[in-house]
Amino acid sequence: MMTMNDETLLRYSRQIMLPQIDVAGQQRLFDARVLIIGVGGLGSPVALYLAGCGVGEIHLADPDRVDSSNLPRQIAHVADAVGESKVASARRRMRALNPDVTVRTRAETLRGQALEEAVAGVDLVLDCTDNLEARKSINRACFAAGKPLVSAAAIRWEGQISVFDARLPDCPCYECLYGALGGVADTCSENGVMGPVVGMLGCMQASEAVKLLCGVGEPLAGRLLLIDALAMRTQEVRLPRDPDCPVCGKARGL
Amino acid sequence: MEIELKLFATLGRHLPAAARRNAVHIDIPADSTAYDVIDANGIDREEAFMVVRNGVFRPPEQRAREPLREGDVLAIWPPVAGG
Repeated sequence: MMTMNDETLLRYSRQIMLPQIDVAGQQRLFDARVLIIGVGGLGSPVALYLAGCGVGEIHLADPDRVDSSNLPRQIAHVADAVGESKVASARRRMRALNPDVTVRTRAETLRGQALEEAVAGVDLVLDCTDNLEARKSINRACFAAGKPLVSAAAIRWEGQISVFDARLPDCPCYECLYGALGGVADTCSENGVMGPVVGMLGCMQASEAVKLLCGVGEPLAGRLLLIDALAMRTQEVRLPRDPDCPVCGKARGL
Repeated sequence: MEIELKLFATLGRHLPAAARRNAVHIDIPADSTAYDVIDANGIDREEAFMVVRNGVFRPPEQRAREPLREGDVLAIWPPVAGG
């Protein structure tokens, strides 16, 4: 449990200075518990920034070990960590950055009941995975538990980010958007990805998480931000909820 | 009638020669749907994942049903799930 003393006030002074954060917001970050699923290109900056910001308890889940081909973009992992589990490697870096943060790790793919319990135990979930199947199951678990989900994806020079917030009555979910895509979407290991591009998306996820945890600003709920970094063009798209969505629509639970 | 077609990222290869950067004004038959435009430009429907009409995401059932209108902007992005 983190508390506010002179040292912590100094450490977090640059964000406490922001009127949207202030001491009350910092305390909310200290008291927050978040789950980061996937500690790769997206999850690395998310984990480091949220640890740096002073999010009190951060849960990491990822079944993979660090590979040398991860290093150009998965900035939580250093060359010495090759072969180590990603969650242990990231935990070490997060604790080196901010020893006050509690980091809990699970070196596995969360599925079924384990996923439901992991989601139920936190205030907010960040989807930093690399495949459609995991993304759909995380979305289902978040809507079942009523937890906000910050979801981003990146490949090649492209990325997208949105917030699916089950607490809002009209907020669409990942299934409204990707439900129709039954096949396999392109993966970074087959198509390549530029490190700073996936890093940008991870930083945006961390920023959205801070806003949601502090209850400030306008989160990306009901909107999807699309980024083409090669042309450096962005587009904001309005996402209406699909009334027939099996996860968040009228048809849910039928 | 005329609409503006914008193709992003890897879909840019389907743009006709008249395109400026990632956008092109095209003439289409009245009452064409988004799928009509996607098919006519040689784009795979699975790859045309994110179909956005005038800034609003259109789900697949609307792409087949909803007629486009003069002056519409149809923007299309490929799917992204990596991380």
